[in-house]
Amino acid sequence: MSQDWYKDAIFYEVHVKAFFDADGNGVGDFAGLTASLDYVKELGVDCLWILPMYPSPLRDDGYDIADFRGIHPDYGTVEDFQKFLDGAHARGMRVIADLVMNHTSDQHPWFQASRTDPTGPYGDWYVWSDTDQRYRDARVIFIDTEKSNWSWDPVRKQYYWHRFFSHQPDLNWDNPAVRTAVLDVMRFWLDRGLDGFRCDAVPYLIEREGTNCENLPESHDILKVFRRVIDDEYGGDRILLAEANQWPEDVRPYFGDGDEFHMAFHFPLMPRLYMAVRREDRLPITDIFTHTPAIPPACQWCLFLRNHDELTLEMVTNEERDYMYYAYASDPQMKLNLGIRRRLAPLMDNDRRRVELLNALLLTLPGSPIIYYGDEIGMGDNVYLGDRNGVRTPMQWSSNRNADFSTTDSARLYLPVVNDPVYGHQAVNVATQSRQPSSLLNTMKRMIAVRKQSGAFGRGTIEFLRPRNGTVLAFIRRFEDDAILVVANLSERSQPVELDLRAHQGATPVELLGETRFPPVGDTPYFLSLGPHGYYWFRLERRDRGPVRYGIEETAV
Amino acid sequence: MADALDPNVGPGPGSPGDRRIDRTGGHDGPQTPTRSPAPGEAVVRLDMPHAVALGERVDAELATLGPRSVAIALLTYNNAATAKVVAEAVAAGVERHLDGATAVILNADAGSSDGTAHAVTSTALPVVRIEHPTPLAERLTVPFHGVPGRGDALAAVFTAAHRLGARALVIVEADVVSIRDEWIARLAQPVLAGKADLVNGAYARHRYEGTITNLIVAPLIRMLYGRRLHQPFAGHQAYSARLVEHILVQPRWGGFRRDVTDLWMFGTAVADGFAVWEAWLGPRVVRSTARSNDLPTMVAQTLGAIFGVMHTHEDLWLAVRGSEPVPDVGTAAKLGVDPARVDVARMLDGFRLGVRDLLPIWEHVLAPDTLGDVLGLDAGDGTRFRFPNDLWARVVYDFALGFHYDVVHRDHLLRSLVPLYLGRTAAFVLEAEPRSADATEALLDEVAVAFERQKPYLAERWR
Repeated sequence: MSQDWYKDAIFYEVHVKAFFDADGNGVGDFAGLTASLDYVKELGVDCLWILPMYPSPLRDDGYDIADFRGIHPDYGTVEDFQKFLDGAHARGMRVIADLVMNHTSDQHPWFQASRTDPTGPYGDWYVWSDTDQRYRDARVIFIDTEKSNWSWDPVRKQYYWHRFFSHQPDLNWDNPAVRTAVLDVMRFWLDRGLDGFRCDAVPYLIEREGTNCENLPESHDILKVFRRVIDDEYGGDRILLAEANQWPEDVRPYFGDGDEFHMAFHFPLMPRLYMAVRREDRLPITDIFTHTPAIPPACQWCLFLRNHDELTLEMVTNEERDYMYYAYASDPQMKLNLGIRRRLAPLMDNDRRRVELLNALLLTLPGSPIIYYGDEIGMGDNVYLGDRNGVRTPMQWSSNRNADFSTTDSARLYLPVVNDPVYGHQAVNVATQSRQPSSLLNTMKRMIAVRKQSGAFGRGTIEFLRPRNGTVLAFIRRFEDDAILVVANLSERSQPVELDLRAHQGATPVELLGETRFPPVGDTPYFLSLGPHGYYWFRLERRDRGPVRYGIEETAV
Repeated sequence: MADALDPNVGPGPGSPGDRRIDRTGGHDGPQTPTRSPAPGEAVVRLDMPHAVALGERVDAELATLGPRSVAIALLTYNNAATAKVVAEAVAAGVERHLDGATAVILNADAGSSDGTAHAVTSTALPVVRIEHPTPLAERLTVPFHGVPGRGDALAAVFTAAHRLGARALVIVEADVVSIRDEWIARLAQPVLAGKADLVNGAYARHRYEGTITNLIVAPLIRMLYGRRLHQPFAGHQAYSARLVEHILVQPRWGGFRRDVTDLWMFGTAVADGFAVWEAWLGPRVVRSTARSNDLPTMVAQTLGAIFGVMHTHEDLWLAVRGSEPVPDVGTAAKLGVDPARVDVARMLDGFRLGVRDLLPIWEHVLAPDTLGDVLGLDAGDGTRFRFPNDLWARVVYDFALGFHYDVVHRDHLLRSLVPLYLGRTAAFVLEAEPRSADATEALLDEVAVAFERQKPYLAERWR
């Protein structure tokens, strides 16, 4: 397999606790995940991204890690994890796992040792200060819960630095011992066959006075060393995916010269996809790509529609944020921090055409798509569960009790199954959709299968067309001899569009989802009509590019 | 008109619902269920839902012609370069071999723009030109048989032949320039003699011609219907008046006009006890710029047609055991074994590419054991590659099941079979190359036997 497999891959983000409960204790586990691998494979997934699986007090859903080398007992054991990993590999899938580099739980032995023994071996593993006035230019991220990035520790009688929750003290990355320890943690999992890490909160590793303490050069230096070591020791096909919720020009340095992260999330695109559909205007999408810098050839953007966090609106302007709240968060319960805590289907008012359109864009815009578990069947959310739990409810396998997620009493589930009339498991579940050829699940399978037919989706350049009708987004992805034309109607009404395809004169557009051949491109504008939120994926088949001949075609029938 | 309203004229023993299998191949088909119309009767019967409106001009021409004993349908689409030669061969065939017959050419045209109509009118026989609808998609990518909207064309000529009271309707391809006058005789005479209701053409071919037919279509048809038809998609056919009438009243035909028409009619003929024959015609040389020769398209069209009728005729084929030859007319030709330029290495490349790129689709379609066996095929050695017949049968059956259960978009499913077909064809060529014509024939028979042997595999999974 190629070392840059991630450029063509479909990623699937999943909570261990939320997918399938094999031991019937109400919490999903690795044994359950292993049993569900065939489903994920059938969807067309190439790589699973596992959310934090480590022992943790779970005050931030596992992003508060108390032991980097273990598995949370609710999820199983390291052996269970190994079986899961081997099962995924046996099916040709890869697995990456979340790793929180910036901080630990305050329950981690490193922190406990640091607070109780300031002069001991762990005394300098966290960022301690006698004052809470340092690094004042750094913003507070969780503004709904934290007032400062400093918290007082009554044991050590000093302030400690935390960019996130106060129970998540930041590691002191200026300390070489910390770097060695975290690198050893990575080796621990890579030795077991893990295919990479999604590295959480990487912009915040280093603090410097007079800066906003984000994206500092020293952080990049550390990350480059990590990349080099992993490449050297593991053959170059393990990946590092950066979570850097920043503007594209600020994320760009995380790719380095192809020597830092393999991949990074494209955070600003996601809200703009929603904005474009709501405004029925392609500008938010074309504009953000205009402001997206080129990245090294071996690197790749990660695209997503939704994930385990709120639909973050940090990377939009204040005006845009107000619009998004107005458009997508009519109930104040839906807002969280600077975002909206809802799943894809509810955000789209359960409009199948819009859900499909957004997925069609996710799968065709430049980057590797990540599908958030359950979004492939249009699962709903429960905004009244607090924090981001509303989008982390159990996977809905069937209409049976507990959606067949678990055999336990419903009251023992880690979170209740969504149970409302529209999105409840009786209406939205895998079993039902598997049997409906036109279901969202089967449509997703088809779209993913088609995406795999061309390297242009994962590796191609993008050229936006500028038809007069601004509700239509049209672009061409090119890779080697392949040219893919994508046309999408962002409007809820049917739309005509004339495309300037003169550069492809003589080519025959072949619609990929139906293999339907459209009339060839001539020297006049190419006319198409699109139904409400309709879309086309065309291969522009060149006239001079005849099919391969075998000598049996003329008389094959 | 009176027939349509006459309660005493009901379905006969050969009507839908009275299916039986003609295992002897003889003429023990059903009795004519309704009387044929009076010769030249120019009315559309109300009990023939698939008799199409032909238009005032055609109606008038048919009425003027009066009764005809033989109707020869020439299906055309931009065949100006060849239609004249073909039409003259047809006229010669009638004159020399069908003594006393009153014949007419029904030229069903799919919207030619190259002067085809003029080429057809300059013959010794009267010609009635009928234009029929054509789906846009089939005009853009003309099917392998060369006629966009072939199903509509057949509906039109069936209607016209029925009105003329023709005892035999012969279908002729307008771009097959190797046609000889005796072809008309071989196709029409078994019908006119009352022995056959459907005569299917069979051509003399080279062993590497018709690989889709030999390795997939014919074995499938043999397994499904218990008839060893050599070339089920032969374009030249002949129908008896009663089979024409039977099909015109078939309630299901409307849904099978496109692509699947020929197979559906064959299946219906077998299912309802009509006598099916085969006519050996000689070499088939096609001169066409219209026909698709894109392999994936051909595989999708032919396999889609068969898989489509499997659903319709499931009550028939699930009950069929074994197979038997059909009666034939003419001399069966041996397979040609002259050296031929087929690119086995490129076929194996196509197979390997499929393994690399289409695995995600195959995983949806193929059973785990089948997929494992396919992945275990060693395509590394380009001279010793083999594809076992039973595995090939299971592959095709898994695709039929995948089509039936709609596990993947059907066109993707069908096209994803192409690399497997290329692999199977490469293996066939490698195996056949040192053999004689008879030994090659035996090889092909083993393929078909494996399809029959593996039938329980398919039947057990078909619900």
